[in-house]
Amino acid sequence: MTAYLLTVFVFICVNGVLAVTLNFILGYAGIFSLAHAVFFGIGAYVAANMALYVTTDLFVSSLAAVAVCMVFSVLLALPALRVRGEYFVAASLGLQIIAVTIFSEWHWATGGLGGLVGIPSPTIFGFKISGPLPMAILGLSCLVLVTGIIAILVRTSLGRNLMAIRDSESAALAFGKRIAAIKVLSVAISAGLAAIAGSLYAYYVRFVNVESFMLDTSILLMAMVIIGGTGSMIGPILGAFMITSLPALLSYVPNLPAQHIGSIQQIIYGLAMMLLMVFQPSGLIAFFKKREKSDVA
Amino acid sequence: MSHDPAISPASDVLLEVENLSKNFGGVAAVDDVTLQLRAGVISTLVGPNGAGKTTLFNLITGHLPADSGDVRWKGQSIKGMKPWQIARRGICRTFQDLRLFSHMTVADNVLCVMEDSFLPWQPGGFSAARERRERVQQILEETHLADKAKVRAVDLSYAERKFLSLARIMATDGEIWLLDEPASGLDPRSFSLFLNLLKSNVKKGITVCIIEHNLDIVFSLSDRVAFLDRGKLLAEDDPETVLKDPHLVSIYFGERN
Amino acid sequence: MLLLQLTLNGVQTGMLYALIAAGFSLIFGMTKIFHAAHGATFVIASYAFYHLYELSGLHWTIATIGAGVAAVIFGAGLYLLLYRPIQRSEASFFTVFIAAFGAVVVVQNVVSIIYGRGFVVAQTTLSSASEILPGLYLSPLVWISVLVAVLFFAAISLFLNKTNMGISIRALADNPELVRTFGMNPNRLSLYVFIIGSILAVPAGIITTISVGVSPAVGHHVVMISLAATIVGGIGSLTGAAIAGVILGVAENVALYWVGSQWTEAVTFAILLLFIILRPSGIFGRAITN
Repeated sequence: MTAYLLTVFVFICVNGVLAVTLNFILGYAGIFSLAHAVFFGIGAYVAANMALYVTTDLFVSSLAAVAVCMVFSVLLALPALRVRGEYFVAASLGLQIIAVTIFSEWHWATGGLGGLVGIPSPTIFGFKISGPLPMAILGLSCLVLVTGIIAILVRTSLGRNLMAIRDSESAALAFGKRIAAIKVLSVAISAGLAAIAGSLYAYYVRFVNVESFMLDTSILLMAMVIIGGTGSMIGPILGAFMITSLPALLSYVPNLPAQHIGSIQQIIYGLAMMLLMVFQPSGLIAFFKKREKSDVA
Repeated sequence: MSHDPAISPASDVLLEVENLSKNFGGVAAVDDVTLQLRAGVISTLVGPNGAGKTTLFNLITGHLPADSGDVRWKGQSIKGMKPWQIARRGICRTFQDLRLFSHMTVADNVLCVMEDSFLPWQPGGFSAARERRERVQQILEETHLADKAKVRAVDLSYAERKFLSLARIMATDGEIWLLDEPASGLDPRSFSLFLNLLKSNVKKGITVCIIEHNLDIVFSLSDRVAFLDRGKLLAEDDPETVLKDPHLVSIYFGERN
Repeated sequence: MLLLQLTLNGVQTGMLYALIAAGFSLIFGMTKIFHAAHGATFVIASYAFYHLYELSGLHWTIATIGAGVAAVIFGAGLYLLLYRPIQRSEASFFTVFIAAFGAVVVVQNVVSIIYGRGFVVAQTTLSSASEILPGLYLSPLVWISVLVAVLFFAAISLFLNKTNMGISIRALADNPELVRTFGMNPNRLSLYVFIIGSILAVPAGIITTISVGVSPAVGHHVVMISLAATIVGGIGSLTGAAIAGVILGVAENVALYWVGSQWTEAVTFAILLLFIILRPSGIFGRAITN
């Protein structure tokens, strides 16, 4: 039972890191990417390959994952960010589809459809980390680390530049902002930090395959950010928490046929997306903030 | 009181447009306009609505590509350059619809303008950062926004937003300011505060070109007035000459034949 | 010969894509609403037909009408209950997009709970192919797709160019306020656009159901094709979306000559990416101004 809960917890941390990094470009820069799962995947595949063939050291393999993701995202962002927002959505969609095909076919790097199996446990300075509880602590550390980095970045000039672009791109241009450079940098940071989630995932599940990195995952991550709320750090984490724990919660509901739990989960968050956009586009976090305001007043 | 360009020696041409034209679907928004903006000279761009004044600004700042003609800054052509490149050369502007960074605080709006590097850190380290913050404070005090420093731009009153727009451009170290109806819609008290603020900035030697309908600004501030109508530059002279011309006056007030 | 066969298959697919894309492009072009739930309309129309024809054994005409009614109720309902309330409060492109995506997710999963996740097919004699040349198989569906597509396009063109309502709808795209001064209600016109756009998804849905079959996951694919064709064809151009739909359908099938079937989707999106990067205004679109 505890092992199960700890597993859910680790997944919440993984999704939390992904949601926070997606929010960095979506909520703060207004860059709408449907390809976030691709960077999750690249991070996972690189970390897995490192663990299997080079070293199981957590820092080295994660750094490799981060580096590869950053380089790759820059290569993609440079052409893609020249286009307007709506087109970028389509471009990211195209990227996600093509990436899934590449993940499925590039046997040498990704193990093809079968994926990579038997990934060993991570080590830090030679000490092996294994078992649900140590991995849960690791997961929490990753979440805290990434959230902390993003929270700091948002308060720097980069954060201000991103918000300026989001609020008025033409005014930002008129004040000399190099929009393309800023966007590419923010995508690189977002993708690089998402790789940490990939690394954590690969080491925890000990098995990576393309099914975890498809369009459904990208949509799920977007739902987490939107449902939680884009205006803060906590919003995406809240969204990740709610959506990740949904299947676990649903399994406690009596009379729900087990084979439909996945669908029911999706229906719930699909409905949540629809209802929130009509009644509270700022996300669930706005409900908490409202209460705070009335407490103070 | 504006300085008289007839007495002081003609200063260098900072910004000039030559035979600049822009068409929108057959309609000439800007039609073969040639204009020179000299250093230290305050000019106003007047004309009826739809005369092409804002379009002219957009052509100069690169927000719109010109169909023909040239734009030169200190002798070098800047035609075809991207807006951010033009801005970094010292040509700064405001917008008629303000385009503030609405979800950022007042202080951040001003601070952001001073941060040139796209990286998360700026050159100069902590001491430069402290200087920037002090400058922000100073600008906010001059624009009467010091007590609103932490308020989000979207929550400001109309007059406060106009002042914030000016504060932003004050934070640049631009050599020429292109202001698009900066004072429109202000109540009399705010307007006189605004006018004083403009005057004190002008005294610091910044070249300004203002699009304005308000004749107070035109007469009390400008050295030169350029009159635009239907995309064409009809006159460019000192304020008295331009605005006493009966033909131009009738166009301006809509009594066209 | 294989190439010719693939091209013929591509023409059939292309005609259906053209219809779907035209529906999406009409809605997006005229109302500026990014109706990402168009894929869900397709799924609903297809499964409605399947249920009425295959499961209930009704005549195909009744099943077709039933599919049409279902599609219209869904499309119009989504406009009235989801898009319009959102437009009243915030109208950001992305808010609408998310809501529409939510709708697709809900529809796909409800359908998969009721009918299962696999492919379902409505059996007809129309889908059986006859060998007209050695190695070349042709089923009546190829002709039917072309005919249906051409008929619908002729009808839509006539409607948009010759009827008062059609002209008003085209005016809606350029200037909603102008529409008001002529005494028409932009909201009412938008509703009609959604109805017509949703109807365009029905023939494609039915033909797909009787040929290769449909599954709940098809909704995503339809959205992506609609989006790709609209961009490649040029936003605002119905003809462009249709032509792009045909191009994408043919490309998707002809690509099989050189690559395995797992790459065909990638081919479609590589074309989309190329257009976005090199020519975002598409084939016929209006020039993109910033």
